[in-house]
Formats: sequence, C-alpha cells, structure tokens
Amino acid sequence: LLPLLLLLLPAAHGGVQHVGYKPFLTKTPVLEGLTTGSTFVLEQPRCVFDKYSNADIWLVVALENTADTFNNSVAPGTAESAFQNFPHSVPAYMTLNATLANYPCPKPAGDITVLRVGSETSCIRDDARPTCNGPLPGPGPYQVKFLALNGSEPVAETGWSLPIMLRTAKSPNSISTTDGGHSAGMIALTSILSILFAILLAGLVAMLVFWGSDSCGGSSTFSKPEAVTVRRYNTHHVYDQPAARL
Amino acid sequence: MAKSEDCIHILQGLLVFGNVVIGMCGIALTAECIYFVSDPHGLYPLLEATENNDIYAAAWIGIFVGFALFALSILGIIGIIKSDRTLLLVYIILMLITFAFEMASCITAATHRDFLTPNIFLKQMLERYQKADPANNNDKWMTEGVTKTWDKLMVQNHCCGVLGPSDWQEYTSAFRLTHNDADFPWPRKCCALDAQGVPVNLDGCKLGVPGYYNSNGCYDAISGPVNTHAWGVAWFGFAILCWTFCVLLGTMFYWSGIEY
Repeated sequence: LLPLLLLLLPAAHGGVQHVGYKPFLTKTPVLEGLTTGSTFVLEQPRCVFDKYSNADIWLVVALENTADTFNNSVAPGTAESAFQNFPHSVPAYMTLNATLANYPCPKPAGDITVLRVGSETSCIRDDARPTCNGPLPGPGPYQVKFLALNGSEPVAETGWSLPIMLRTAKSPNSISTTDGGHSAGMIALTSILSILFAILLAGLVAMLVFWGSDSCGGSSTFSKPEAVTVRRYNTHHVYDQPAARL
Repeated sequence: MAKSEDCIHILQGLLVFGNVVIGMCGIALTAECIYFVSDPHGLYPLLEATENNDIYAAAWIGIFVGFALFALSILGIIGIIKSDRTLLLVYIILMLITFAFEMASCITAATHRDFLTPNIFLKQMLERYQKADPANNNDKWMTEGVTKTWDKLMVQNHCCGVLGPSDWQEYTSAFRLTHNDADFPWPRKCCALDAQGVPVNLDGCKLGVPGYYNSNGCYDAISGPVNTHAWGVAWFGFAILCWTFCVLLGTMFYWSGIEY
C-alpha cells in the first residue's frame, strides 16, 4: 500500500513533465569556439516547449557529479541557484532566462541558433545578479538541462545533457624547440663546399711547392706575349752587288 | 707550336669568360642580399626576438662577398691577359679568402633555416605577444616588435596564430594573462575586420563562425619569405662557389704554366 501511495503522490501535485530532449552542443555550423577554456555553445531548444506557451525557460548548469542533487523546486534568482555561489555552495545555477517567443518553431533554415554559456563577464562577482551567465569556473565536466517554470512552479524539464568537457590550456614551456634536426640539403651543401675548399687549398699548396721546379710545366710552357721583341735588321744588300760590278 | 698557342688562347679565353661570369654573379649576389637585408616582409622583429638572427648575418656577408667577387674578377681578367705571375698569385689567394667567407655565409643561412621551426614561432608568440610587464628595455623592445609584427601579419594575411586560432586555446600565454578567455578566445586581430579595423561581427568572431574570423595559421606567411631568404643566400652562393672552384682550378693550372 505504501509504495502505491508514494507513486500517486507526484501525480497529485501535477508533477514536472519530462520532455524527451537532451541539450547538446551546436553541430552546424562547425564552430571554432564550440568549447573554450570557460565557455561552451549549446543549440537552442527549438520546438521543444511548444505546449508551455506561458512558461519561463531556464538553463540549469551543474557539474557532472552534482547534477543528481539538483532539486527542481529551487527558485531562480535566489542564493540557492546563484552563479556566484557555484560550485562551492550550490550544486547548480540557473541562467539564460527566455520565453517561448525567443525560441520560435520551426527554426528558419540557415539561421544560427545558439546559446553561448559563459559569455557575460561583467557580473562575475556581482551578487545582485544571481542569474549571471558568467564564465564557467573550471574545465568541468558539466551537465545542463532546460527547466520550464510557470510562475514559480516547474512544469517541464528536458533530460540532462551528456557531460561537456571544456578545454584545458598547457603551459608554453611544454613546447619543445630543440628537436629540429638538420635537413638533407644543409648537410649536402656543407660537405660539398668543404670538399671543394679542401681541393683548392691543396691546389694552392701544390702550386707554391712546385714554384721553383719546372716539373709540371714541361709541355705547356709558353712565352709571355711581347716579352721578346724582334728587331728587323738589314741584310748585306746581296742583291745590289752584281748590279755594282757590272 | 701553333697548336700549343691555340690551346693557350682557348684557356685564356675560357678563364676570362669564367671571370666575367663571376663578376656578374658577384653583382647579382650583392643586389639579392641587399634586398633581403631590407626586410620587405617586415619579419625581422620575429627573428630578432629568437635572439638568433644568423640569416641576416649571412645576407650581410653576402653583400660584401659580392663586391669582392666583382673586384677580384676584374683583377683576374687583367692578370690572365697580361699573364703576370704575381697578379695571378694575389688573385688566387684573395679568391680563396673570399671563397671561405662565402662558404661560411651559405652554411650559416642553411643551418639557421633549419632552426626556424613552427614551434619556435609558436613559443615566441605565446610568450611575447601583448606581454604586459617587460623585464627591461631590451625585453620591452622585443615585445613591442613581436606584437606589432603579429598584428600586421594577422590582418594582412587573414590568419591567426601559428597553426590556427586554437593555439590561443591550447596553451596559456602572456595574452591570456591580461585578456580573459570568455571575451577573448583569440585576439581581436583574428576577427574579420572592416575598413576601419573594427570586427565585422564580434559575437560571430568569438563563437568562431566561419567567415567572421581567420581560421588559417600564419606559419605559411612566415616560412615563405624566410625560406626564400635562406635558399636565395645559401643555394645561389653554392652555385657561385661551384663555378668559382672551376675557374680557380683553371687559373692555378694556367699560373703554373707561365714562363718566368
């Protein structure tokens, strides 16, 4: 009898409708900043809460290991759901308030319909803004769901998303700059030039050593031009003498 | 005797032709190295900040070697036509000294080019771009040079980071210390900018919507000019040295055959 009574109790309060939708990170277009160190981008919940035209739709952000402890009856805009108290004193916070008018159905083709979680940096420490959409405090992993409230009563919720892991940044000291190695071109260039230079030096040494001796010069010695001048001189006028004797 | 005379004249002609080519290549080398030293792509601050700008030293040596080659080629032509032993000996010794300097320049340019990997530029960009408190004047000078060069590079070449905008996400940086991740996943210069230098769509840029930010890395824009510079100095110098080697061997042979 007791289990039957327990089963009937939520039905008696009207209960929270569980919509068969799980929030997910935007798939099209492919975004470079889909997850960064402190933000992530969700697809808007279009055509999900169509039956609840008067409801306020809130986004609930929790850590993967605190998601189960979130109570749907927590009111938004209070300290129990304040961004500033997450994650040290509250298991989840509520932000990105919207109505069905913000999420028209059907989604026009070609429109980019996204929600950037973590984009408001001005209210990080402002306790007067508990619904701040502030940058997430760590790499996660986080789980989110949408909750529709009619006044202060939760009327519908989506399922929890898959765990969302944010990016962690490494230190630039981990970049190794010394494993370049030498390219083949540089090695070829160095070795060929060294060999050529060595041959030239050997040739110079050979030149100077054999300066004195004539050993290599034998067949190819040649005279310098204009070194010897040949002067023409008159012969003995032998052709004139017979003419003189006659 | 006549045949030997012809051989001599042919050898002289070849050596004179060889020296003319050396002279012209010397002038070309000087002109090319002056072009590189003038830094037409504005990448010198990046190389200066790596504290190893050997590529520029190689280009400076190339300027003077080019002049020396031109002057020595004229000396060589005169020495060959006059068949003067002293002149040719001076020519050979000075040419060997010039050969040694040019060899140093080629090897330096080729070795330094191997040193300039993407990781070097990545580490330098992360550590210096928009660094807030420089340690001393030298540090401040290098930081300003790196920041201005990167801004100009990213805007003119429509690129971001060394390998892509994810460089700013994968690593912490001096930029990240002063600009929070939510407002500045990457610098504003990575956004598509209009004529006034203002991002066309800031939210689109922060989200990373294709078309509103630069998705390519800048490494190609850096390595292109640096490669041209290094190969121009190293391989053109190598070609000149190979030609000079042949001419010098011929001159040594010619010298040893001159009567004195």
